Amino acid sequence: MLEIRNLHVTVEGREILKGIDLAIHPGETHAIMGPNGSGKSTLANVIAGREGYIVTQGEILFEGKNLLDMDPETRACEGLFLAFQYPVEIPGVANLYFLKAAVNAVRKYRGESSVDAMDFWELVNERMALVKMDESMLKRSVNEGFSGGEKKRNEIFQMAVLQPRFAVLDETDSGLDIDALKVVADGVNALRSPERGFLVITHYQRLLDYIVPDQVHVLFNGKIARSGGKELALELEEQGYALYNEEPGRARRAAA
Amino acid sequence: MTAVAPLFSDPYRQRFAELMARRREPDAIAKLRRAAFDRFEKQGLPTRQQEAWRLTDLSALQAIGWQRPGDVPVDTGTLPTLDKTPTHRLVFVNGRFAPGLSRLRDLRGKTLIASLGQALLTHPELIEPHLDRLPGLKNQPFADLNTAFWEDGVLIYLPHGTVVETPIHLIFHTTGDSVAVHPRLLLVMEAQTQATVVVEYGGQGRYLHGPLAELAVGEGAVLDYHQLQEEAPGAFHLGGIRLRQKRASQANLHLIALGGQLARVDLDALLDGEGARCQINGLTLARNQQFSDVHVRVEHAQPHGTSEQVFKSVLDDKARTVFDGMIHVRQHAQKTDARQTNRNLLLSRQAQAQANPRLEILADDVKCGHGSSTGFLDPDAEFYLRARGIPVAQARALLVHAFANDSLNRIHLTPLRERLARLLAGRLALDFLEEEKP
Repeated sequence: MLEIRNLHVTVEGREILKGIDLAIHPGETHAIMGPNGSGKSTLANVIAGREGYIVTQGEILFEGKNLLDMDPETRACEGLFLAFQYPVEIPGVANLYFLKAAVNAVRKYRGESSVDAMDFWELVNERMALVKMDESMLKRSVNEGFSGGEKKRNEIFQMAVLQPRFAVLDETDSGLDIDALKVVADGVNALRSPERGFLVITHYQRLLDYIVPDQVHVLFNGKIARSGGKELALELEEQGYALYNEEPGRARRAAA
Repeated sequence: MTAVAPLFSDPYRQRFAELMARRREPDAIAKLRRAAFDRFEKQGLPTRQQEAWRLTDLSALQAIGWQRPGDVPVDTGTLPTLDKTPTHRLVFVNGRFAPGLSRLRDLRGKTLIASLGQALLTHPELIEPHLDRLPGLKNQPFADLNTAFWEDGVLIYLPHGTVVETPIHLIFHTTGDSVAVHPRLLLVMEAQTQATVVVEYGGQGRYLHGPLAELAVGEGAVLDYHQLQEEAPGAFHLGGIRLRQKRASQANLHLIALGGQLARVDLDALLDGEGARCQINGLTLARNQQFSDVHVRVEHAQPHGTSEQVFKSVLDDKARTVFDGMIHVRQHAQKTDARQTNRNLLLSRQAQAQANPRLEILADDVKCGHGSSTGFLDPDAEFYLRARGIPVAQARALLVHAFANDSLNRIHLTPLRERLARLLAGRLALDFLEEEKP
């Protein structure tokens, strides 16, 4: 469903991603782990279409379509979702209004009529319970004055309402205490289905105790240094990324 | 004093002579007119050499030989309403009171809401002691022009303790080219009174509106004053507001500026009693080649006064705005709390916002602060909205709306706020933003 081929990306003239290959099929959850500066967030931003990321080589296909040709809103309407590492505060735009605008934008793209007010309210209520969000957060401006945990829950809540086909979670666990982490993980797990794919980007293994991935990839210095099953995350937890830092070849040898 | 170029002064002098010949009014009023006209003749229109007018280019206005407008029919459908809210409504077409389009509801006691021209005949005793009495009026050319040339306007007189709950809706509508109208508004609120006033300026053509409002707010009185400037795209608006507040009074002023090719408001607020509170909320939307200018001076003359100014503008295309805001705290005005905020949102690289916030504090135990910022839309916020599927144009509109709506939310008069919200949404090509109700 998401296919990344030989992806090279530069940011402000510096090459950050140096040839990424990745294929995620419907129903699969992949995790990308890696130290700071390895290119994790660059990958998330390129997939979502943020400006300032120049693809110099390679391609990304989303359900067979060239994702890089689409602007960010088209990607979202095609069913792609990015849970932001740093959700943006938007004073003056109520959370609920924003969400309705997003739902209707996607519906319009699909040639559907605007969402029925009662249906929308029902969906919102149901999804709000999923991430244990308080109703008052709907009336507040998007992320304004939200705590770190509330912001991340709001991301998962948006995902739950928009029901994308594929979601990228960019360090959704960072800054969360264990209770908030569980809430976020429960929210994600509730959405896992045979039709839906996830790419979970994280620095720590902890999140993967709760969102158990089908595959784990280690991103190091702009390349995928290793791929493996969920046990790879545990191994990283024990050994850390230092192994990769010292000598890129050693980790591979150690695994052999 | 240098003489003003005759080319320029003659039409004004002729117009003034005609006006004086036409009017029958008390000597005191005629005297005020003559004095104001003399001052105007001596100074002429302001030039950019004068500090207060440095950023305001009046050459387009100066090139026009302004005339008194004739009577024209008006399409009543174009006149604004406050939906179905009952109002005291006074309409002025081309500067003249239009009783047929107006509606005055019953008033109790000595309360008076009337055409100023008519009231001058029936109640001169209410006007003479108050007209042209607020400080800051002299030697301001457009104020002098107004005092010399006003032909009609509104008198609102509230005797002690009067509460007028029905909003007072004043509409000045002018049609024509090269015609000038100088409406005068005189609001006299005695102690413990309360009123809500909405003043709207609009029309069609290349006309000039040069209004002047004198707002005298008595002890413990509460005034909600809304000014909506929605002039025609080719029109000029050079207006003045003079506010004086007595002890423990409260004035909430909302200045919404949307139209005109050149628009400027000079607001002078004098907090002349202990514990007076003044809130000023300004929103300017400017586009194309519009120039919109606000000069505010808030003067704290007595202790324990509070003032808060929030001025916002949204600029598109090649529009320009000026915000010049002064807070002056006299030595005696201890425990003053005065704030001023100016925020400008630029939607185009060619737009230009100039801000000149100033503080003059002579007292030593006060809280005063000001801040000004000018910038483009937040690209992170724009991306966030787009990443949720919202098209770029709508995303930008949403962000602009959020910026401006903050000003509208300060307006408590619901029908006006809702009308402005619709107008704003229309300008931004947004669907009407209904409030979400579960």
